[in-house]
Parts: sequence; C-alpha cells; structure tokens
Amino acid sequence: MSADRSDGPVLRVARLRHRFGDHLAVDGVEFTVAGGEIVGLVGRNGAGKTTTMRAVMGILQPQEAEITWRGHPVGFDDRLRFGYMPEERGLYPQMKVLPQLVYFARLCGLDRATAERRAGDLLGRFDLAARAQDLTIALSHGNQQRVQLAVAMVHDPDLFVLDEPFAGLDPSVVDDLSTILRTEAVNGHAILFSSHQLDLVERLCDRVVILEQGRVLATGTLDELRARLPRRLRVKVGAPPGWERGLVGVQAESEDVEGVVLDLGPGADAQAVLAAAQAAGPVERFGFERGHLVDVYRELVQR
Amino acid sequence: MKGTTSVWLVARREIDERLRSRTVRIMTAISVVLVVAVIVVPSIVHKPAKPAPVGLVGSSTQALAPALRRAANAAGAKVRLVDLPSAAGAQADVRDKVLDVALIVSGAHLQEALAANGLSPSAVARALTPEPLAVAALNPAPPDQTAHSLAAVVTALLIYTSIAMYGQAVAQGVAQEKTSRTAEVLLAVVRPSRLMAGKVLGIGLVGLVQIGATVGAGLVANALVKRAEIPSTVWVLLPMVLLWFLLGFALYAFACAAAGALVARQEEIGFVTAPILMVLVISFLLMYVALATPTAWWLAVVSFVPPMAPVLMPVRLALGHVPAWQVALSAVITLAASVLLAAIAARIYSFALVRGGARLSWGEALRLSRS
Repeated sequence: MSADRSDGPVLRVARLRHRFGDHLAVDGVEFTVAGGEIVGLVGRNGAGKTTTMRAVMGILQPQEAEITWRGHPVGFDDRLRFGYMPEERGLYPQMKVLPQLVYFARLCGLDRATAERRAGDLLGRFDLAARAQDLTIALSHGNQQRVQLAVAMVHDPDLFVLDEPFAGLDPSVVDDLSTILRTEAVNGHAILFSSHQLDLVERLCDRVVILEQGRVLATGTLDELRARLPRRLRVKVGAPPGWERGLVGVQAESEDVEGVVLDLGPGADAQAVLAAAQAAGPVERFGFERGHLVDVYRELVQR
Repeated sequence: MKGTTSVWLVARREIDERLRSRTVRIMTAISVVLVVAVIVVPSIVHKPAKPAPVGLVGSSTQALAPALRRAANAAGAKVRLVDLPSAAGAQADVRDKVLDVALIVSGAHLQEALAANGLSPSAVARALTPEPLAVAALNPAPPDQTAHSLAAVVTALLIYTSIAMYGQAVAQGVAQEKTSRTAEVLLAVVRPSRLMAGKVLGIGLVGLVQIGATVGAGLVANALVKRAEIPSTVWVLLPMVLLWFLLGFALYAFACAAAGALVARQEEIGFVTAPILMVLVISFLLMYVALATPTAWWLAVVSFVPPMAPVLMPVRLALGHVPAWQVALSAVITLAASVLLAAIAARIYSFALVRGGARLSWGEALRLSRS
C-alpha cells in the first residue's frame, strides 16, 4: 500500500492558479511530494499555503490546476486516502473523542470494527487513551490538536495534508507530534505540511517549497536551498577587529563575542581568510556557518 | 464508498447527538402532554348527558314510543321512556322532577277512534309512526365547532413548532460545522450534497420520532377515552400531522441548510433564517383566520401553495371534510417543491460552506453559486 521514496513523486501539483475576486491567491504554484517524504510549504500569511492545500483536498475548486495522484488526476476516491488537518480546528466540540475518531474513520470507508481498532490504537499512540470518553471541548488546546492529527491519520492515509499543524502548541507537544509524523514518513507516507515556524520546518522537512504572493519562490532540499546563500565563515581571532579588511570578496556580516561572520563573495578564498586570521593572531575558531532556512527565506523575500 | 453509506453515517451522527439533547426530550414531552390533554380533557369536562326520562300514559301514547326514539336520535338527544298507569301519577312525577316530560292523551283513545272510522290496524300504526323529517342545512356548520377549532389550533401548533424547531436545528448544525471548520474535514471525504442530505435526514428522523411519539400518544389516548369529542377526525388527522410534518420539514430544512451555510458566525443564524421562518409564521397565523372562515376560497387556494400547505392543509382537515384528491395533490406539489428547493440549496450549500469571509446575502449566494 505504502509507496517508498524510490517510487518518485506521488502528488504532483502544477499550474495551480486561483483568484478570489481581485486577489490572485495562487499563481502557477508547482511542486511534488514523494512517498516517505515530508515537504514543508513555507510562506507568510496570504502567501497561498492554505489555498494550495484546500485545492489538493478538493475543498476549493481551483480555476486552473493540474493536480495528479500517482499519475492520474486526483479524484474523490483518491482523497479518501488523504488525511487532512485544516488550519483552524475542525472537530465536533460536543462529541466524545473516541466516537469522533470512529466517525471520521468510517466516513473514509473503514468498517466499524477496523475504525474502532484504529481509533483505539491511535489514542494510545497520542497518549489520549484515558480521554477516549471525554467531550472534545473538555480537552486542552494541545490535546485537541492531537485529536485533530489523529482524525487526519485514523484511516491510515497515503498522503497527509496538514495546514499549520503546530500553530500555538507548546514545544513538548510539537516534539511529540513531530516524532509521530517522522514515523509516518519512515513508513512510506507522503506528508505535505505548512508552517510559518521556519525552525520547525527545518527540523522536520526533507524538502521545502517557499511561497510568496501566490508564487513559488524556491523549492528544494534544505541543502539545495542553503546553496543559494553566500558561503559564510565564522572566525574568532585574538586580534582587534578589522584584520579581514582587504581580503578579496570578503565582507563582514556581523560580529559578536563568538567572533566575526564573514560573507564570502564569488572570488573569495577561504584559505586566504584563514591565513590572514593566523597572521593577525591566535585563531580560536574557524568554520563554515550552516545557513538556516530563515536566512534563505530572508534572502529570497528581500530580493 | 457508496453515497448511501456516507449519507447514513452523517444522519446517524445527527440522531445520536440530538437524542441525547435535553431540548428534544422536553419538546417531545410537552407536545405529547398537549395532544393527550386536548383529546382527554373535553371528554372529562363534557360528560355525556343522561337520557331524559319521558313518561307515557295510556296505550295510544305508548304506541308512539318507536317514533319518539327515532325523533330523539335524529335530534342527537337520548330519551328514557317510562310507561305509567295514571295521568295523576305522571303529573306528580313531572312536578317532582322525576320525569322531564309526560305524554298524556286524555279522552277517547286515538287508535280506537281511528279504527272506528274505518282504518285498518296496520294503517293506524303507519299513521302513528311517521318517518322523522330530513333536515338539510343550507349553510352547514360542523356540529362541534369548538372541538374542531381546537383540533385545528393544536395541529397547526404541532406542525409549526416542529418544523421551526428542527429547521432551526439544521441551520444551526450547518453553521456550527462551517464556523468550526469541521465542514472542511468532512468535505474532504464526503460530497457536499450527501453531507447536506445526511444532516436533513438525521434531524428529520429525530423530528419524526418526536411527532410520532406525540401522534402515537394521541391515538392511544383517543382509543382509551373512546368517546372523544372529535372521534372521526382524530384517526385521520393524527397520521396526517405526521405526513405534513415530513413534507413541510423537507421543504424548510433544505432552505435552512443553505441558510446555515451563509453565515460567518453562529450568531448570524437569526438573520439568514428569518425570511424562511417568516413564511412559516405567516401560514401559522393564517390558521387563526381560517378558524373564522373555514370554507373560504382563499384557504383552499393557500392549502396548495408549498410553503403554506404543510400547516394549512392539515388545518383544513381538522376543520372539516377535505376531498382526498385535494390532500394528495397538495402533497405532491409540496414534495415536488422540496425536491426543487433541495437542488438549489445543495448548490448554495456546497459553495458557501467552505467560503471564508463575511456573511453572504441570499442574493449573493444565488448569484455566486451559479458561476
């Protein structure tokens, strides 16, 4: 049932375009998600993340789009194999937790016995077994969010579409849910999720799609995206500041107690920087800075 | 998955949720008590009158007994005939109020006098037992006007409150799913028309249980009381209440489902359902006019107009005789209207349910859902 990474992309979104009145919400969005892969949709509010996800789930009929699942246009029955978590909570507040999970599982086509077994198992996995017969509204925000994710997972979907699944959660819940998603990905499920918490996306995702004003600014693995950043060195030398001046293509970006951060331009030579540092004084620290997604994002959006 | 399965799953959830609700239980109890009271109370208040004692003195008056009984029956009265030997005793009994009336023929015995004039005994008997006169009312009024009016008011009240209550429940349920975004999770796996159909079906069945319990209690009460004031009408009327609740609910519930999908916040339900419920309120108020003029032509006309028929056709039935073909025709028209309305409502519902932003007006929703 589950596809593995070698199968290549299972979900393919192309030429997605939709306009709400005068507002062009998405304008030619394209990306793919492979089995076993976690893809993060990143962008500020209004960048088109939610519209994209709703189009994938068929909740919104986009004016223009080619959305395919395993090579054919996504149909209603394919979506029964998708698990969806909308941006805001989407549960019946007055329904008990277990019946709620069973209900959604059965709507996805599971028979009663399987639905009850899956729902029970999931509540165990989410540490919610003791709350099975509590009203959903009686649960804390974090626990409701767990139930919401459980609803998205209860029919063992092939693809997860999760819109801001971690918004407003405390770090321990985020860690728990991240672990669960990681496990699902390892088991071959494809996961598409959106967030504006870039550090989280960086920790969790294999690939990232950066959206801005309805367009894809960049897409790729974290390493691919980082390659778009200028190479950056952090050097700490027992010498007064300014020792790096005069080096070709080298620009000081910032300075703090941990030394100076240097952007290396196209013609710059890291070995020359090291030599200059050693000439200036004892080198306490010398290394390439690992760029963060947030840096990539800033770099791209500022342009 | 088959469409019927998802419709039934959605309906089942509604039923489970609502049968647990206190409002439904209380409403059911109130309507059961109301209907049983309307049937039982009149029979306690109006005890059937005791037969009036009538004294008959002499063989010629006693020969009138069959004719007297027939005349009494035709007038809707009961008499107890007592043969008495003497006119004096009969007069004393009337004075003492033992008898209401005494018939005394003094002097010549009528039969003997007639026979003496050449009439055969059988001719004499025929002459003395005439057929009662047939009464033809030119402007017929139902015999027990009060009971029929009461039945009409209760029927209208029952149907009106149930459609209003369960129609509102549909609108609220839809609005709740929209504003809580549960609709998004649902629409990812259920087609909107099935979601709407399941909701209307589930809530409708709960309504049917309530009305069914009420009607059942009414029929049982009627059977136990035996001599209700409106015996012939009750057996027809109560099942008709069930039928017209269903027809009316179908009509109003689909409109309410579309209305619930228009709102942006739960509190706005009143705005969007007001025009729908206004029509229902008007048909309820027309019932009061109908009480005064049960045979007016306009009443017959509006009992065929779909949004009014569910209240006013049963009101006409309660007030008197309505030809079966009229009931059937009106039912078919109402059913056709609700099918048409369901199609329009499904379009508005699918479009509006996942639309963010401010509350939509009916006009906007119709226009936008078409494009």
